[in-house]
Amino acid sequence: MPDISAWFNDLLSGNLIFTATTMGYYWTGLVTTTQLVFLSLVIGLVLAVPLAILRSSKRKWISLPVYLFTYVFRGTPLLVQLYIIYYGVVFFDGIQESVFWPIFREAFYPALIAFTLNTAAYTTEIFRGAIKATAKGEIEAARAYGMSQGLMMRRIIIPSAFRRALPAYGNEVIFMLHASAIASVVTLMDLTGAARYVYSRFYTPFEPFLFVALIYLCLTFAILFFFRFLEKKLLAHLKPQTP
Amino acid sequence: MLDLQGYGPRLIEGAGVTVQLAVLSLLLALVLGLFTATAKMSRHWLPHGIATVYTTLIRGVPDLVLMMLLFYGGQIGVNAISDILYYSYDIDIYINFNAFAAGVLTIGFIFGAYMGETFRGAFMAVDNGQIEAGKAYGMSGSLVFRRIRFPQMMRHALPGLSNNWMVLLKTTALVSVIGLTDMVRVAAEASRATHEPFVFLIPVAVAYLLIASVSEWIFARLQKRYDIGFGEQ
Amino acid sequence: MAATPLEVRNIKKRFGDTEVLKGLSLEAQKGDVITLIGASGSGKSTFLRCMNLLEQPDEGEIILHGDTIRFKETRHGREPADWKQVVQMRAKLSMVFQNFNLWAHMTLLQNIIEAPIHVLGKSRKEATDHAHALLERVGLTARANAYPAQMSGGQQQRGAIARALAMDPEVMLFDEPTSALDPELVGDVLKVMRDLANEGRTMVVVTHEMSFARDVSSKVIYLHQGLVEEAGTPDEVLGNPQSPRLKQFLTPNY
Repeated sequence: MPDISAWFNDLLSGNLIFTATTMGYYWTGLVTTTQLVFLSLVIGLVLAVPLAILRSSKRKWISLPVYLFTYVFRGTPLLVQLYIIYYGVVFFDGIQESVFWPIFREAFYPALIAFTLNTAAYTTEIFRGAIKATAKGEIEAARAYGMSQGLMMRRIIIPSAFRRALPAYGNEVIFMLHASAIASVVTLMDLTGAARYVYSRFYTPFEPFLFVALIYLCLTFAILFFFRFLEKKLLAHLKPQTP
Repeated sequence: MLDLQGYGPRLIEGAGVTVQLAVLSLLLALVLGLFTATAKMSRHWLPHGIATVYTTLIRGVPDLVLMMLLFYGGQIGVNAISDILYYSYDIDIYINFNAFAAGVLTIGFIFGAYMGETFRGAFMAVDNGQIEAGKAYGMSGSLVFRRIRFPQMMRHALPGLSNNWMVLLKTTALVSVIGLTDMVRVAAEASRATHEPFVFLIPVAVAYLLIASVSEWIFARLQKRYDIGFGEQ
Repeated sequence: MAATPLEVRNIKKRFGDTEVLKGLSLEAQKGDVITLIGASGSGKSTFLRCMNLLEQPDEGEIILHGDTIRFKETRHGREPADWKQVVQMRAKLSMVFQNFNLWAHMTLLQNIIEAPIHVLGKSRKEATDHAHALLERVGLTARANAYPAQMSGGQQQRGAIARALAMDPEVMLFDEPTSALDPELVGDVLKVMRDLANEGRTMVVVTHEMSFARDVSSKVIYLHQGLVEEAGTPDEVLGNPQSPRLKQFLTPNY
């Protein structure tokens, strides 16, 4: 199709916006976004599993503090959480003199902390729902075979809750990817930050924002397909078998 | 006592902007959502296709990116129109792309997609026999919709609507980034100016929790109203 | 001569590759009570649902009082040409469903006045007065303000019959009205239906209740695999069955 390729050549050659330099910005942005999202998801997940177990406790004094944490972090905008951590980190006594200061001076770490706490709160509630939904019969069976509370948690409840939580957790991963766009607000050069920078230099909103929108869309689909694949593998045993 | 250093009235104004923005966007999103759900359930490929592309694109791209695209892009579109007016008709006006309107349009447009999915699921949850009974008594399609499908659908839709509303409420914070003076923007400005972030940002966080709690109460009452006739009383 | 209230000719219907109705006809004169019997899968419910176009027949004619429903061919198959005509037709045929299908979000009274007000355009007062009279007939005066979920199946079905009567229908269609009921509740519903038959209502009834078919109907049609196997008066069809299949169908298998 010569028409289209000619049109495409035209587009690139006469274009100030898609150049090697701007592509470099987008690449940096993609790397930052990926690091930020990946790290916060992993740490958030590690925090969420014990938190979800505590949150499922029948003892009020154990579950209530966790509930308070998830209530606050799920009930307020991530942007406000980010601002509080970003502007507030200097107020921790001694942090400016400590060895960590070079780290926290940069926007990356406050953003990472905010994102991690936020996704931990959402993931905790997702897991709690999954734990709560464990079939009564499975628990009774575990009790009947003399499993202790801890063993039952480890061998029966958590593995099946993980599988049940998978679809909701997939949504949370996509949500986190999209939420990470606000990192650009605290001067981070993530994908959105790159688009904003290019926009501010050329004053053309459509090319940079459409371009990163497309990248986000591709990332979203990649995550979506990854979780579909996982679900297929891990949840296959729940589907009725055809002989 | 909390010393807001003179930012108090502006914070209250900002809270007003947040609430107005959220409520107006919600209304737009509800209307768009109903249209989207209807289009998605259509047997015709064109409305179905448009609705599918709409919901897929919106759910695949961050709110903030969409917001900037529509906001900055909208400004340029408006400028182009005023240029045309000037050069072709010699009418010299400067149209300022209203940030508030842009915020309402963008958030409404984004959440219309989510509402559409919620409504679609809820419509499909209505027992077909209820609709058939309407048809069998000579009700037209629009009458069946108004009197039977819609009221029964709402019962199934409310939990999703409530959830969407809570997310929408928090999303309004993003408009502070494109220059709208909501309570987050006022608080962020005040934090930078006074170097006392907690004094301003924590009350804002509390305000969000407060609005969320009030909405939760309203939704619980609505649910009661639409649950009438279902389940044991 | 008064035109026939309901006449259907040569109805055919297929779902995918299976032809479920292979050319069925029926004529209901004023005061007729026609019962359709047959094993499950014989097509009797589908036939009934074709009569008010809840299912679209692929072929055949439906004539109400000499007024033929017009159809047109579309890419999705045959569809009514004029939905207004269908809506008017349905207002004259009221259906009573197997699962009652009372609108769950309305009280019984609201269920009964809904279509008279919004379809027939009656005043609220007129519809409500009529509804109270009907509720008394079916013995549900006390339940007027109950929601369907608060009523027993038998009460719901009698309420649904009151809802059907509120339309002043020319023909009433009953789709297995007692099949979803506990045995001890069937009697009340059948009694209401007998009363309706005795006062000269025109009815088409799909049912498994052989005693009802024998005592009340003017005509019985036995369907088998989408075709009429036998038809006639109850005495002929039920008293003196000809085909081995019908004989077997009528033999109680304990």
